[in-house]
Amino acid sequence: MTEHALEIRGLAKTFGENVAVDHVDLIVPRGSFYGLVGQNGAGKTTTLSMAVGLLRPDAGTARIFGSDVWADPATAKQLVGVLPDGMAMPERLTGREVLTYLGLLRGMSKEVVAERAEELLSVLELDAAEKTLVIEYSTGMRKKIGLATALLHAPKLLVLDEPFEAVDPVSAATIKMILRGFVAGGGSIVLSSHVMALVEQLCDHVGVIDKGRVAAAGPLDEVRGVATLEDRFVELVGAGTVTTKGLSWL
Amino acid sequence: MAVAMTMARMKIAILRHSMSGQQGGMMASAGVLGVLLAGGTIFLAFLDGDWLTAGYAVWMLGWIIGPVFSGGGDETLRPEFFSPLGMRPQRMAAGLLVAAFVGLAPAISLLALAGLVVAGAREGVAGALVAVPAMVLQLAVFVLLSKVTVALLGLALGSRAGAIGAGLINGVILAFLGQIWVFMAAFGQGGQIPAFVRYLPSGWGLLAVQGDYVALAAMAVLIVLLLAAWAALLARRAGTNRPSTRGRRPMRATTANGAVVAKELRTWTRDLVRSHQLAFALSYGVFFAVTPLLVGIPGMVPLAGPIFIMMAAAMTSNAYGADGTAHWLTLMTPGASDVRGRQLAWLVAVSPIALGLAVVCTAAVNGPWALVMSATFALLGGGVGLVALISVVGLVPGIDPRNRGGNPLRTSDDDGSATGMAYLMLFLVALTAAPAVAVAVWFGWWGVPAGLVTGALCWWGFGLLAERRLAADGPDLLHVMRTGRRPGGEKSSSSFTMPDSLSKTQRMIVMVCLSLGAIPLIPQGILGAVFVANGQLGHSWFLATHVQPALRYPVAIAFMLLGAGMYALGGWLWLRARKADEQAGKKAAEKTEADGLRAGAAAG
Repeated sequence: MTEHALEIRGLAKTFGENVAVDHVDLIVPRGSFYGLVGQNGAGKTTTLSMAVGLLRPDAGTARIFGSDVWADPATAKQLVGVLPDGMAMPERLTGREVLTYLGLLRGMSKEVVAERAEELLSVLELDAAEKTLVIEYSTGMRKKIGLATALLHAPKLLVLDEPFEAVDPVSAATIKMILRGFVAGGGSIVLSSHVMALVEQLCDHVGVIDKGRVAAAGPLDEVRGVATLEDRFVELVGAGTVTTKGLSWL
Repeated sequence: MAVAMTMARMKIAILRHSMSGQQGGMMASAGVLGVLLAGGTIFLAFLDGDWLTAGYAVWMLGWIIGPVFSGGGDETLRPEFFSPLGMRPQRMAAGLLVAAFVGLAPAISLLALAGLVVAGAREGVAGALVAVPAMVLQLAVFVLLSKVTVALLGLALGSRAGAIGAGLINGVILAFLGQIWVFMAAFGQGGQIPAFVRYLPSGWGLLAVQGDYVALAAMAVLIVLLLAAWAALLARRAGTNRPSTRGRRPMRATTANGAVVAKELRTWTRDLVRSHQLAFALSYGVFFAVTPLLVGIPGMVPLAGPIFIMMAAAMTSNAYGADGTAHWLTLMTPGASDVRGRQLAWLVAVSPIALGLAVVCTAAVNGPWALVMSATFALLGGGVGLVALISVVGLVPGIDPRNRGGNPLRTSDDDGSATGMAYLMLFLVALTAAPAVAVAVWFGWWGVPAGLVTGALCWWGFGLLAERRLAADGPDLLHVMRTGRRPGGEKSSSSFTMPDSLSKTQRMIVMVCLSLGAIPLIPQGILGAVFVANGQLGHSWFLATHVQPALRYPVAIAFMLLGAGMYALGGWLWLRARKADEQAGKKAAEKTEADGLRAGAAAG
């Protein structure tokens, strides 16, 4: 078995006149911690949504451990845990209820679900908010419950869209620890971010997306060369003309 | 005043941007209908008696009720937009009030209030002159009453008891409006409108015009009071509504389908919007059915249960849209049936109340048991099937529950489509009961098994269609919910003659208009007029034969106009979309041609 954790071939998506993703190819090797970086609107979220079956591509394929996400969704979706950015949850449930019902929907037994939910809630420090409905969660708590739903069914690949956005430093440290442990245990992770330092700190592979295309991809050291990832990124996306104009009234 | 003028200008700018395209079309048709109604109201000013007062009472009721039923009313400028500016609430309320005068509804109401000038002129020059300030003050009263009601309702919906209470009250008022013929018939028989109507705030403008100048001052005072109340309510609106967070039931579900049912049932009991919907349907059903008792007609009482089911289905017709983007979780867990679980939960929430109502109300008047029970079972099945199917097929993108903001009634930014869908659902659910009702009419109790069979078929069949649609188009539906847009023009439409550029909801509006326009036009309009002409008065449900002599022809004519208007709206939407299709086709052809030329030039 030499399948890649995630293999994206020629994914493309156009919204009206706007080409959001322009035939993207990406390979996430087994066991890698892959960072996807790009400016706002570069097409990261669109690419990841198409890769996990949340958005229908105009062209191209996505395979998770060899299973085609669009031809064989049942197998592919069993293997992947997803944390999308900014999507709703079943808002009128408590964290524990969300995890329990999702586990049952995944066909897990009641006992296993209860055990894992307990552990996830305590590790992610959500157990203090036992009676709080998800709709009342803070942004950081929402990320954490989202991560918990992604981890619940023991996936082999995690696809996380901006997992650290609006998360406080303490929670971020917890999440980082969990993610590192996941990779150490043989799992693979793809995460998107526009915080270069974070990607450099966590990831061993990186892909740079710019205007819907892959500008560079591969092992972190190959992509950044001798520079920092940030310098390399600015060079790649051609934003070298960072404005030096101040605001006149300040 | 600077604040007010800026807000008014903002509103004009927003309205101007929305005048084009589909929304512009809806506004145009609403405008035509509004002008017709305003014309009818002005006509009342030429009649003797209190008809004009009664007319304005209806307009006032419209201002108060309209927003409640159409998702919170005009929210072009939301108070939240201005909260970071740190304005005093009074100032913000005054600004928003001025901005609220800009728009179609206020313009049409002002036109209707021109009836005051007519009434004033009948009194003399002074009356006509007083009518001008009276019109403006009266309009301000309407607008402010509307704003305060919506603000109060928003506050009420912050608590469970409030949500249910608001739902009950809204249901009563709308049921009375739906059964307005009862009141018209009651007053028509008595020959006059009760005196208190003259002294409602809606009648103060007319009182002033007729020489009672105190009424002008009273309106001014009322405006100041309402403005203060609104300002106070706006200041409280800043936070979002708090859902109930007490006691949590232990979880007992052990299977995938059990999990969907449990998830839904918990949402039913915790989401105040859903509590409001059920309470509304219940009180609408009951009051719609019992109102005719006022004129001694007990025949409609047994309808309470069936009407409740239809209303419950209509209120929940956008079930998937209302949950927003939470749909991604369903997409990521294939295998479990979300549709079937939701159906079961809907039945658990609706059918006990429906059956209870049907039995109690039928027993109360010893009504037609076979008919009511047949309809109840057929409607329950039809409702549970169609809610699943329509909410998938006609999905109107909702606002994610956590972003609903200060106005929890507003579950979608496209409330025109959402409201249209609710009306469509009423009609479609009623259709599903037709076979069983027909059997019950001709063969009595055989209707019950017929209702059970058609109900079960609808439940199973429409559910299956919904499930398939969800499996096939799930990601596209999620995209619609995320962006509010349908994936543009990828598929050519499968519908037979409907133009591609009609949205699903518009298609349904066209269908309903074209199929139902006949009812007001022919029986209530033309036949009503014929009966009146022949002197056949008090004729079953022909409203024109029940009302006062002066109103008989106007009522029949109004129905004819309504029917014709429905045909016009349906036909116009259809034609416009056809034209848009042709233009799109032309553009595409031109583009291909240009590409061909370019390719040719390149080759040359």
